[in-house]
Amino acid sequence: MKQKAPILDKLYVALFYLVLIGGWQLFFSFGKIPDYIFPSPAQVAVRLYEIAREGLLWPSLKATLYRMGAGYSIALSIGLAIGLLMGVSHIAHKCAKSLFLGLQTLPTAAWVPISLLIFGLSDKGIYFVIIMSAMPSVAIATADGILQIPPIYIRAARTLGTPAYAMPYRIVLPAALPQIITGVKLGWTLGWHGAVSAELIKSSVGLGYLLYMGRELNDSPQVIAIMVVTILFGLLLDQFVFGVVELKIRKRWGLEKERSE
Amino acid sequence: MSQIETTATFTKPGTLSIQNVSKQFESDDQEVSALAKINLTINPGEFVIFVGPSGCGKSTLLNMIAGFERPSEGTILLDGKQVTKPHNDRLMMFQEHALFPWMNVIDNISYGLRWKFRFNWKKRKQRARELLSMVHLEQFEKASVHQLSGGMKQRVALARALAPDPKILLVDEPFPALDALTRQKLYGDLQELFTRTGKTIVSVTHDTREAACLGDRVVIFSGRPGRIIKEIAVNLPRPRDFNDPEVGRISESIMAELQHEK
Ligand SMILES: Nc1ncnc2c1ncn2[C@@H]1O[C@H](COP(=O)(O)OP(=O)(O)OP(=O)(O)O)[C@@H](O)[C@H]1O
Ligand SMILES: [Mg+2]
Repeated sequence: MKQKAPILDKLYVALFYLVLIGGWQLFFSFGKIPDYIFPSPAQVAVRLYEIAREGLLWPSLKATLYRMGAGYSIALSIGLAIGLLMGVSHIAHKCAKSLFLGLQTLPTAAWVPISLLIFGLSDKGIYFVIIMSAMPSVAIATADGILQIPPIYIRAARTLGTPAYAMPYRIVLPAALPQIITGVKLGWTLGWHGAVSAELIKSSVGLGYLLYMGRELNDSPQVIAIMVVTILFGLLLDQFVFGVVELKIRKRWGLEKERSE
Repeated sequence: MSQIETTATFTKPGTLSIQNVSKQFESDDQEVSALAKINLTINPGEFVIFVGPSGCGKSTLLNMIAGFERPSEGTILLDGKQVTKPHNDRLMMFQEHALFPWMNVIDNISYGLRWKFRFNWKKRKQRARELLSMVHLEQFEKASVHQLSGGMKQRVALARALAPDPKILLVDEPFPALDALTRQKLYGDLQELFTRTGKTIVSVTHDTREAACLGDRVVIFSGRPGRIIKEIAVNLPRPRDFNDPEVGRISESIMAELQHEK
């Protein structure tokens, strides 16, 4: 039973996508929408192949991933530091919580105009958008995670002789890790939104730029192809990088019960 | 596995002196008097048990010895030095095991060594292994905390508390959540460890039979504000059996004192 279920699940998922693409093809075939507005799946696939062969896709993907890697690392460090401060200081929490909740409601694309004003067309502006998009959710999750730590862990740590300077990295952050990781995942997703939004307007390379070019050239297959790539990579990293880390943590803590269906 | 014959070493236990200690809590402009004028000396290597009605301040006293709380009046001295804050000289073992879920068993036990000895990683691991074998859980070295049963968790918590070689071990009702058989096994383990390490131990319990089985001396508290109403010395040879009629007899006399108090 346990062996069979995942394979069956995968089969259903494959079937689901097949039906989805089939529906798309049907809609394309019988719909009255011209194909330069609404392309077929095959046209999108061919265009994707062309973009890749022309050598446009890989540099763009690399550029976006690189920006995310660097920008998100910074967002993560700042978010963790601020979250830690909010978690241990009552006053910092009171002051910063509403601000970060507010920032979190701001659509990530709304950071683009101000970044243009501050940084002009330089790449710095993209980093700025990524950081501002991703950092609040990391900070909030960290702070909330810390506030929910059972006090007994802190007391156990103190009685075991943990000096004050070691509390944050030995006890507080690890104890809040299951909550922090959800913020880290959310932050990644929002940062990814921010990166692509910023690239739409102010870059000459990147997934957002390819989207923009597709629109400029009225090339709807390219637009959809790049959207698919953007979704795919966002999902891939979410599942295979953060998802794996999260699962590992949840297993260690015993939060992940073995699925018994 | 049988290689681990080199027993971990333990240093001299400490003398605890509680002098005129009172404690009041203030909550919502209401003052609760938890303890009143406690005087007690606990000798090196003595196993002392606190019993008393619920809310009489037993945990409060233990927390003050651990350094989590400060007395409102009076002083607590360990080997002549005043207790002001938590320190691994006075290690507390909690009712809920309080093991760190982000560490495996052996890392939990070796954690406290980091702040005690100038050990490198290898030596820390070795001492942690020795303690793990003292609580008979060698094969669970790499297990996650959640994989252990309640009794096993408490034994790991015991090993973790003893690893940094505290002068005094404080134990606050560690076994109530366990079934009777597991508890009795733990009493055996605790006595064995007590004899082997020669630690000073102060423990709180509600179970008079547990008190008689474990303690060299049982200190009985009155209802709130807690005062010491009687001390009963238990001079039975160790290891004691929980079901020994002699233990039962002493348990009854403790019970009688408590009922008399109510
Ligand atoms: N932090 C605190 N703030 C206010 N009151 C407190 C605090 N801690 C304990 N008290 C009060 O002090 C009294 C003694 O509490 P304590 O927990 O020491 O009792 P106890 O003897 O351990 O009881 P039990 O056997 O039920 O564990 C209680 O009335 C409790 O309400
Ligand atoms: Mg208590």
